[in-house]
Amino acid sequence: MGDAIVFVVIWGILTTLGEIWFRSIRAHSMYYTISNQGSIALSAFNFLSSWLMPIFIFVALMVIYTLIRFRAPNNEPKPSLVQAMRNKWYIFFWVAASFLLNIMFWLHPTSVDLEAMFTNWRQEKKQNPLIVNVTARQWEWIFSYPQYGIKQAVNAQGLDEMELPVNRPVEFFLRSYDPFHTYDVYAGVIHSFWIPAFGIKEDVIPGETRTEFLVPNHVANFKTSPLVRVQCAEVCGPGHPYMEAPVSVVTAKQFAQWIAYQKKLQASGV
Amino acid sequence: MEQRIAQAEPRNHPQPKVLRMAPVLRGLIWATIGFVVFDLFTVAVDPYRGNPLVTEPSAVIGWVGGLLGWLLGVGGYEEMILPLFGSPSTWVEPKDWRRYFGLSTNHKVIGIQYLFSSSSIFLIAGLDAMAMRYELMQPSMHFFTYTGQYLTAVGIHGSLMMFGVGTVAMISGLGNYFVPLMIGAKRTVFSRLSGIGHWLLPAGALTLIASPLLGYWDTGWRGYEPLASQDPGGMVYYYLGIFAMTFSTILSAVNLSATIIFHRAKGMTWARLPLFVWGILTVSLLNLIWQPEIEMTFVMALLDKLIPFHFWDALGSPETYLSMFWLFGHPEVYIIVLPAFAMWNEIIPVMAQKNLFARDWAIIGLIFVMMLSGLVWAHHMFTNMRNSEMFPFAFFTEMISIPTGFSFMAAIGTLWKARLRLTTPSLLVLMSLFNFVVGGLTGVYLADPPVNLQVHDTFFVIAHFHYTIIGGMIFTWIASMYYWLPKFSGRMYNETWGKLLAIWIFIGFNGTFGQMFLLGLDGMNRWVPAYPPYLKPMNYEVSLFAFFLGAGFIAHAIHIIWAWRNGPKAPENPWHSRTLEWLTTSPPPENNFDGEVEVVRGFYRYDHDEPSAYLVKDASESQ
Ligand code: HEM
Ligand SMILES: [Cu+2]
Ligand SMILES: [Cu+2]
Repeated sequence: MGDAIVFVVIWGILTTLGEIWFRSIRAHSMYYTISNQGSIALSAFNFLSSWLMPIFIFVALMVIYTLIRFRAPNNEPKPSLVQAMRNKWYIFFWVAASFLLNIMFWLHPTSVDLEAMFTNWRQEKKQNPLIVNVTARQWEWIFSYPQYGIKQAVNAQGLDEMELPVNRPVEFFLRSYDPFHTYDVYAGVIHSFWIPAFGIKEDVIPGETRTEFLVPNHVANFKTSPLVRVQCAEVCGPGHPYMEAPVSVVTAKQFAQWIAYQKKLQASGV
Repeated sequence: MEQRIAQAEPRNHPQPKVLRMAPVLRGLIWATIGFVVFDLFTVAVDPYRGNPLVTEPSAVIGWVGGLLGWLLGVGGYEEMILPLFGSPSTWVEPKDWRRYFGLSTNHKVIGIQYLFSSSSIFLIAGLDAMAMRYELMQPSMHFFTYTGQYLTAVGIHGSLMMFGVGTVAMISGLGNYFVPLMIGAKRTVFSRLSGIGHWLLPAGALTLIASPLLGYWDTGWRGYEPLASQDPGGMVYYYLGIFAMTFSTILSAVNLSATIIFHRAKGMTWARLPLFVWGILTVSLLNLIWQPEIEMTFVMALLDKLIPFHFWDALGSPETYLSMFWLFGHPEVYIIVLPAFAMWNEIIPVMAQKNLFARDWAIIGLIFVMMLSGLVWAHHMFTNMRNSEMFPFAFFTEMISIPTGFSFMAAIGTLWKARLRLTTPSLLVLMSLFNFVVGGLTGVYLADPPVNLQVHDTFFVIAHFHYTIIGGMIFTWIASMYYWLPKFSGRMYNETWGKLLAIWIFIGFNGTFGQMFLLGLDGMNRWVPAYPPYLKPMNYEVSLFAFFLGAGFIAHAIHIIWAWRNGPKAPENPWHSRTLEWLTTSPPPENNFDGEVEVVRGFYRYDHDEPSAYLVKDASESQ
């Protein structure tokens, strides 16, 4: 009994300390997100962390406790004094707790968050979203803005870039094919559209059109945080590491300027 | 009638032929001849003139010739082909160390061959990992000159580790050696098959290692389509290499499960079957189900590559390949780790001299993990599935942690109030418990789709699966090697060195992979030899720890080899274990036991002094 009480007390203390520590660092976020979808992922991450903390501490403490308290004084093979093979309460508690915990994790965050994610998508669709067509080819991301007649958004050096107005819903249409391929534009491979700061990742599959919705909710760009970038996350050939493009989230006014600039570029370009 | 018998007599006593050439050497020569003959033949009948001497199809057919030559050369000719055509086998197994370098029918020799092969593969794949980590010390390319080289390195590392180490070391290696001993059998059921099975493993590994000769392939160990079908010829050797290695695993699985089912000693009921044997049985059943599945997938992919069938590109269905791969791929990781779970509960009771706690739950856990593992594959595909599918796959994935937890429950229940002898095996098992819980808990994050959509295919995932595989399986493998070293060799390792090295790899391991979680959260994605510069400092540190870890593994290997050959003599049963392998001498004789084993009670009770089995020596039966 004594050991159990000591163990539980230490476990309780360490868990509390761990939770306090985690709460202090999670204020700075485990990862950086600037979209509504990203917030869902981040809060799920934090929620899971605080529930998994006691489990981790339980096992880690058990290992350390064994090393200190249950260690044989020497390597003589003497039978242990306690020889229990069964403890109804311990087994019952373990099995019940693992069931309950898993059911809970499935309900929250999984189901609740998926629900939130899907509802987000439905409402935003109605509010006149910005449409961005994303084409993944080996090895480049091409962004076009059909509502503004922009075929391929590029910067002054002619490199692809993506700009989005803050707080306006965006709908991405993702396709994988190669418009510049010499004989077979459909010879695409699987890429994965990942914007780390938005907390989304969606594979882009040849022959299919995928969609993603979200609302970017902070002004930021690749220079303020390198996580604000499009990155290919599925291996797609030797060019895979270089398949990235900078993203900027800007104010509505800046976005209008940028669109005008893109139109000018497009008109002057060949 | 009588005449016939008289004629048949001499066949069973063939004149032993003295082998002039080492079987491995002969295998290599025959393999070369086989390759050249089959390859030239294919090129000769190839309707497309002007081809080079090795084309993709001819490399495939040449490989088949090479494999046949190799298998016949290492002893298959005398031991398999001659009897098949009615001539007596002229294969004589040497009695000394040479027996490890040719076909053998003794399960202990086969077990050691497997251990040796998979350790060598571990070394090669590990050096490969070191090269990868060296590349990742800088954000730009500085070691590899072409990204395809890095990606090929990743693919070879992953494939060799999964198919040549993870599924092999504990199952085919320790399993072949110890399962018959632990169930009181004198030999395995299909010993010749198992003997030839081992030689598929080095053949497969060499094929993979040789793959860059045909061109850098870049799909990683998963061979994703449609990228694979447009990749260079190295891809072909990826399929063939894995085909050979998984075939070796299938043969092991057939042999081990048949042996467990049919060759148990008297009194060895299912209720008394040792934990490790349960682990091997459940895993062998998994192997029998899923390895053929992936082999068929790879045969299809190989055909798709040689003849463009368009199974998996935009004209076909790219996602079908993903499902077919992960249908096998997820059970594969449980194949790797189940024997380790079983081994924890084999070592802990012995070291604590304490009754195994909740033995039945530990076994139920193994069985349920085995059954559920086929239901969760699509959690590797959250980034490309319908939203409606996320619910069930998240559900099953989260549920599989329940039976996994039963192994922990038994281990912790046994440790509680124990008097644990702190030996190297027990220290490594405790470390393995710690590491695996990190791997398991981070799996909960990955099972939750919103989080998964962020961390999938980043270094978070790399860290997670290395924690489960290295932390779970490799640590336990090393623990088992120390635990059984006195059985293998009759010698003991050095306890101080053992513990020191255990702490060494524990620090190296956690330093390397613990930080990879943070890298992943910070936006480091996979399969990249070059990455944004802000990730450099942490990557640099990870690499330093990785080199430290790699050196630690090599140090363990040196220590074990030293102890095997020169360690101090070990007592007969140094741990006071009760399982059957300790009922015989160390190392065990040719026939394992000089008598009949009779089991009278379970092996995991330490609260009495009654023996759990007897050796009935019967002179009339021993002949
Ligand atoms: C010596 C310690 C090890 C180190 C430092 C190490 C390091 C790495 C690295 C850097 C990657 C590539 C990540 C990427 O760019 O995608 C990787 C991938 C991988 N490793 Fe290891 N590894 C080690 C041991 C192992 C072991 C023991 C196994 C399994 C038994 C293993 C299985 C894998 C697999 C399956 C992959 C994925 C390969 C792929 O994406 O195709 N590794 N490892
Ligand atoms: Cu890509
Ligand atoms: Cu890519």
